[in-house]
Amino acid sequence: MQGASFVLLTLTDTLTIAFRADALGLSFFVLALSMWTVAGLYALRYKDHQENNVRFFVFFFLTLMMLTGMSLAANYVTMYLFFEMMTFCSVPMVVHSGTAEAVSAAKKYLFYSIFGATLGLLGLFFVNAYSVSMDFLPGGVLDPVKVAGSEALLQKVLFFAVMGFGAKAGLLPLHAWLPAAHPVAPSPASAVLSGVITKAGVFCIIRIIYYQFGPELVRGSWVQRSWIAVALLTIMMGSLMALREKRLKTRLAYSTVSQVSYILLGVFYLNEAALAGALLHVLCHSVLKDGLFLSAGNILYRTKLENVDDLKGIGRQMPCTLGCFTLFALGLTGIPPLAGFLSKWELARGALEADLIPYSLLGPAVLLASAMLTAGYLFPIVLRGFFPGRGDAAGISGQGEAPGVMVGALGALAAAAVFLGLFGGSALEFFQALAGEAFV
Amino acid sequence: MMSGAWIPIAIFLPILGGIMIPLIGFRRPKCREIYVFSVVFATSLLTAGLMAAPPEGAVSVVNITKTIDIAFYVDGLGTVFGVLVAFLWPLATLYAFEYMAHEPRQNVFFAYYTMTYGLTLGIAFSANLITMYLFCELLTLVTLPLITHDRTKAAYVAGVKYLVYFVAGATAAFVGIILFFVNGGGLEFVPGGLSAGNIDIAPGILGASFLLMFFGFGAKAAVFPVQDWLPSAGVAPTPVTALLHAVAVVKSGVFAIARFTYYSFGAASLVDTSAQKIAISFAIFTILYGAVMAWKEVHFKRRLAYSTISNLSYMIFGILLLTPAGLVAGLLHMLFHGIMKIALFFVAGAVTCQSGLHYVTDLRGFGRRMPHTFAVFTIASLSLMGVAPLCGFMSKWYLSQAAIAGGGIFAYLGLIAILIAAVFAAIYLLTIVLRAYFPRKGYVAAGNPQAGDPGLYMQIPLTLFAAAVIALGLFAWPVAEWIGRAVAGAFI
Repeated sequence: MQGASFVLLTLTDTLTIAFRADALGLSFFVLALSMWTVAGLYALRYKDHQENNVRFFVFFFLTLMMLTGMSLAANYVTMYLFFEMMTFCSVPMVVHSGTAEAVSAAKKYLFYSIFGATLGLLGLFFVNAYSVSMDFLPGGVLDPVKVAGSEALLQKVLFFAVMGFGAKAGLLPLHAWLPAAHPVAPSPASAVLSGVITKAGVFCIIRIIYYQFGPELVRGSWVQRSWIAVALLTIMMGSLMALREKRLKTRLAYSTVSQVSYILLGVFYLNEAALAGALLHVLCHSVLKDGLFLSAGNILYRTKLENVDDLKGIGRQMPCTLGCFTLFALGLTGIPPLAGFLSKWELARGALEADLIPYSLLGPAVLLASAMLTAGYLFPIVLRGFFPGRGDAAGISGQGEAPGVMVGALGALAAAAVFLGLFGGSALEFFQALAGEAFV
Repeated sequence: MMSGAWIPIAIFLPILGGIMIPLIGFRRPKCREIYVFSVVFATSLLTAGLMAAPPEGAVSVVNITKTIDIAFYVDGLGTVFGVLVAFLWPLATLYAFEYMAHEPRQNVFFAYYTMTYGLTLGIAFSANLITMYLFCELLTLVTLPLITHDRTKAAYVAGVKYLVYFVAGATAAFVGIILFFVNGGGLEFVPGGLSAGNIDIAPGILGASFLLMFFGFGAKAAVFPVQDWLPSAGVAPTPVTALLHAVAVVKSGVFAIARFTYYSFGAASLVDTSAQKIAISFAIFTILYGAVMAWKEVHFKRRLAYSTISNLSYMIFGILLLTPAGLVAGLLHMLFHGIMKIALFFVAGAVTCQSGLHYVTDLRGFGRRMPHTFAVFTIASLSLMGVAPLCGFMSKWYLSQAAIAGGGIFAYLGLIAILIAAVFAAIYLLTIVLRAYFPRKGYVAAGNPQAGDPGLYMQIPLTLFAAAVIALGLFAWPVAEWIGRAVAGAFI
């Protein structure tokens, strides 16, 4: 589906700020809007927990606006502009609490993002020089006449541009901002940072590989292999770090690093099945991770507890919250019939179809190993929460469950997780159609 | 078409007008302000007229010998520089009125400040190497007392450094000019340089004279290794650092390089020579050097000075690509950077004026204390970092496209250097913005507690510059096209 494009500004004959709503862009926009709505309603109640709320909500909505501009961008420069602006608008949410840790995390976020975006800018410069137009077209826009002889150069450029946008998605080696920034932001902000903003990096990567440079430029090359290797490393590293981490929100942040690289893995296999699985996981992970962060928010709101070791017996006090948390944990591990199983299945299928030695086999193996690790870093929280065993339910004040709106938001996400699981087939079909559109 | 006689009038009006100031000896500030502004504004109007309706041919003012004379003309390249200078000088003068309001010896200050305007115009409208050389050296002499104005020890040290660098540079440039002239090069500026007259000079001599002139005139353009005068010059009053060392003096250096590269030597005689490669390598190194030093520097104005060093070499890089696209890109950045950097320096000056603070680490919370000023700072910073669609992004865009189109290892190295420098620029500018708007909880506001947005004489230029940064970004294309037409003749 291709709509008409709307040109906002003409900067030069090849450079315009323009928008167009195609299926991929609209889907991402709807995802962002939905997650923002849930987190926003949650935040209305959560805000009693924090100061300076006007500033928070202003940047909360500005970030959504920038994400919208990015999703609906018709060309590379528009997407790049709104991607950068989204970074700037989200920094105030990270630095919100004003503590030394928050300021330091915000700086890290900013500089990793800018470095990554600059690599993305390199891609922009070269696409303009070697293409007929910078509009997003399935199969890419490179002009074969201009490209002839410079393929190696363009492969290098695309490699770096993808690694650059990958910084936003938590891809090694530019991931270090994520475990610093996501925990330190207020919980509704952490939810959208992990759930949606990381996916903005994925979105840009999909756009530049499939709609600007074209997958054929790098299929089977060292570029594709390197990307896959890095994604696999990130998946394993993220899961392992999550296991070691005691602070709940930081553990969830490392989990994001790992899970978003599942998505990137699917993107990097360069076939329809893998891409469809990746897109489905974008949706599933957003729902599940948003839910996990909002649960952590509930716990913080009521008990101010941050570490997983302190959460013994919390299930008695906050059964709804921990119940939803359990659903999300099951989903993230990939247990059917919840959301999260089918996407991993499709990713594995896409890996095998790609027929890339040894990555076609490594992919499913790593996915499996990571699933076990995911269980390892999420289930103990659930088990200890509901079954603290002998000894004290350490210092849980008897304040009860979190406020209605906040639990309600959680419930909505849990329902979505179940729904996506039960109707996963239809969801997958939708994403398969989307993925199909990306290939010429 | 204006008569050629107006060119020396436009140049000498501010020079003579400036000399008159201490002779008249204004006692009341208001009278001085009216006089100075009238002189500057009249000069700008004259200059605008000259550029809109340029006279044909050159006007010779003094004949030193049969072949050597002091002559002026108004051509495309001169107009590009002239536009920047004529637009900025009245605004900078307004700013200087407020900044210098509590400083001593203002008559002398404004005398030199106004004379500098005429000398800069003299460089822009020089018709031959000797004239350009003469006015460059006069510029050094006349700006020296501006640097040492505060008469502190640091100011005198900076002044000595300034003098040493520029006398050394002048010597090198002079030797280069002689070498060039004696071996057949013409002193007159001709589009296409040597190719226009089908003159051939031995490659060794050609390279040597080019490099001598490059580092000689390039001392003003703060190319490594002759850049160190610029950060020290930060001790001068801000109107001096801003206008002179972000615009007039340094851009004169860049302009001079563009002028003798294309109108004395010609692109064709220099392309692919080792002279080009050596010069462009130093420019690329300077891009990175300036960016890294700016990042490490905590003194506000010195940080901006290092940023200027880096950005000047973006322009030199573009110019030394020796392609039409490269020249246009370099000149575009010359215009855009001038406006962005003067805005940033004016903010630094406003902060110092209001609060007495000089270091970036003291700027916590200033976003709230000086909201209008820091709004301008944010816009100019975003532009300098290269956020679309502001003008800083557009000039980087043109530079990148010129580099990619040119191809070759130096072009790509330069492109990478520019990108790396952009990351550093983001760091050294955005940390200030972040600190200003999102200070740590429980911070202590530094400096004079009464600090607030400055008066109208400072606010007007600041606002206009912010608007210009946005407008030039949106209209960068027409500006680039205009520059392209202005220098079209330079390629034969």
